[in-house]
Amino acid sequence: MKEGKRFPVYLMLLFLAIAAAPPAVFSAEQGLPEDVLACLGCHGERGLSVKFQNGESLEAFIDANKYKASVHQSLSCSSCHGEFAGQGQGHPQRSFRSREQFSSRSSAICRQCHADEQLKRSPVHASLLTKENKAPVCASCHNPHTLTSIAGGRKFTSEKEQCLRCHQHAMGIRLRSGDKVSLKVDAAALEGSVHAKLGCYDCHFGFSGSQHPKRNFNSPRDFSIAQSEACRRCHFDKYTKTLESIHYSLLSQGNLKAPVCTDCHGAHTVVQARADKLQSSKRCGRCHQEIFGTYTKSVHGTALVQDHNTDVPICADCHTAHSIQGAHTQDYRDKVPEICGKCHGDTTLMKKYGLSPGVVNSYLQDFHGVTLKLYRSQENASEVNGSRKSIATCIDCHGIHDITKTTGPTTNLVKTRLLKRCQKCHPGASDDFPDAWLSHYEPSLSNAPLVFLINLTYKFFIPFMLIGLILQILLHVWRYAVNR
Amino acid sequence: MATTSHSQIKRFGIGRIVEHQMNALVFAMLVITGLSQRFHEYRVSHWIIKTLGGVDTMRIIHRYSGLLFATLIVVHIAAGIYGVVKKHWPASMMINMNDFRNAIENLKYYFGITNHPALCDRYDYKQKFEYWGVIAGGFLMIATGLILWFPVEVARLLPGEFIPAAKAAHSNEALLAFLVIIIWHIYNSIFSPEVFPLDTAIFTGRISRERMVHEHPLELANIENVPVEEIVKHHHAARPSEGE
Repeated sequence: MKEGKRFPVYLMLLFLAIAAAPPAVFSAEQGLPEDVLACLGCHGERGLSVKFQNGESLEAFIDANKYKASVHQSLSCSSCHGEFAGQGQGHPQRSFRSREQFSSRSSAICRQCHADEQLKRSPVHASLLTKENKAPVCASCHNPHTLTSIAGGRKFTSEKEQCLRCHQHAMGIRLRSGDKVSLKVDAAALEGSVHAKLGCYDCHFGFSGSQHPKRNFNSPRDFSIAQSEACRRCHFDKYTKTLESIHYSLLSQGNLKAPVCTDCHGAHTVVQARADKLQSSKRCGRCHQEIFGTYTKSVHGTALVQDHNTDVPICADCHTAHSIQGAHTQDYRDKVPEICGKCHGDTTLMKKYGLSPGVVNSYLQDFHGVTLKLYRSQENASEVNGSRKSIATCIDCHGIHDITKTTGPTTNLVKTRLLKRCQKCHPGASDDFPDAWLSHYEPSLSNAPLVFLINLTYKFFIPFMLIGLILQILLHVWRYAVNR
Repeated sequence: MATTSHSQIKRFGIGRIVEHQMNALVFAMLVITGLSQRFHEYRVSHWIIKTLGGVDTMRIIHRYSGLLFATLIVVHIAAGIYGVVKKHWPASMMINMNDFRNAIENLKYYFGITNHPALCDRYDYKQKFEYWGVIAGGFLMIATGLILWFPVEVARLLPGEFIPAAKAAHSNEALLAFLVIIIWHIYNSIFSPEVFPLDTAIFTGRISRERMVHEHPLELANIENVPVEEIVKHHHAARPSEGE
């Protein structure tokens, strides 16, 4: 009972103790040099700011806690800010053009203690110090009031952690071309990428915990092209494929706009390229805008963009992803039936959309398909194919990027294309000439009955004739044998 | 008897012999260049096409071979008609009722119902069948071949469907012709026990009197100016001893 009565009293005393305790700020200020405390009297409060001539401003607030945790905690304010010699000694009015000017002027103060010899031991600083015509501005990276040791007094558990310590911040460099390049790495995106398990140095060769060499690139593009070489270390198969591609060939001819690995796959945000078909085709569209626009209006593109149908082909399905060929070559043209046939010859896939999987074969077994196949089988005999004709294929009637349906309002478009294509090789072809092509239909009594009946007649006539003749021969031999 | 049976009877002049060899050559060329297109999925076809300089070159060879074949047929028919009209030779190739009778009679002989084969004239019904097969098939091939050669011009006059129809007919008829020649003609001129190892008639222009007795008794009777019964009597009488 006694115990129970006394309990509320203890509780009240505890509350009083908490209320009486000085706020955290004050506790942080304890142990700081005298003059620092004096300055913090004003600068420890939010709201103070300095205005520069160009209109920029800088908050003149110092976080006491952070300052106490910083490596500079033992220094007094006047160690750096000498002109403010201490309490009551005056607070000179100064004026700076800009924040940048202020920072660079302040950085000169850092160099009073941090001599070049010391700084050069760090590769990052070494590269900055040797930069021509430009004094390094310490304050661009380091806030002198909150500066902690880079290692933070602990060992990094991963190289990524070590690199991101700096590179997680908005930072950048200006290249010789004048372009500014951000050196910030989005840590979250990196973790979400397929390369989450890789370390920074796996791609950034030459860099390490102790090495941060200076690199010379004229432009961001030069850097991207050089850096994409790193990809081949693991993706050598893809890399060798790109060597055959039109993009690589353009690049090697000096067209720096030709895409390299990172242009399509991203750098720190690498994801499975095919995971999102729409995104994949959009990436091609970044350079091939007009074609991408045409594609999105086609029967395939509409299904992809509007219905999010992933059965339809995207750019890479026809053009391949890495060994992309020039599409205007004869060789690529010749591959068209094979390319279209990958889907249009697939029975299950075509059934899903009520299309006939026989269209590929009906083309391949016809005069033009056979001719094309024979041309292709003799590819190595260049003298044979040197002057050969270009054979009509799927795209000539159905369109290339603007592939349309063959039924409905676009039927006539296909027919017009067909006639035009016929006339290319058969000058003077009349309007009825395309009827010679059975439009992928198998001959039947309702479609091309003449062809159907001729084939049917011979189907019976040839065996009938042969069996008759063979019987005649057998009878003849038999009679001869009997006579002997 | 022995001397007469081994004596040779002249059957063909140099004109017919040359005509046959040319036809054989052109036919072989057409078959090789044509069927390798029909059977394009076979490796041997690919080899042929490659050897002949590619499909384009091969098609040119095929078309000009066809043109030569058409010329041979036209010249043959013109010469045949001219010869018949001018009475240089009888119209012995024409089909008549006797050919059907002979066919039935020969079947009876094969089945042992009669004891002698049909009595045939200069060309027996088998030869006529093949001959008219070549003529009729030849015209079909020439017509359909021309349609395929000039599709644009044809489509102006005929429905477009005629072009694939012509292709179907051309291709099927070609296969039929090839099979008939390879089975029937090669049997009759090489493998038939009566001529084996080779019927040399089309090279020398002659065949033995004995074969004439057996295969063309009516013609022989006409040549020797004796009744046909006289010709076949000896033959049939001599037959049982031949087997020994």
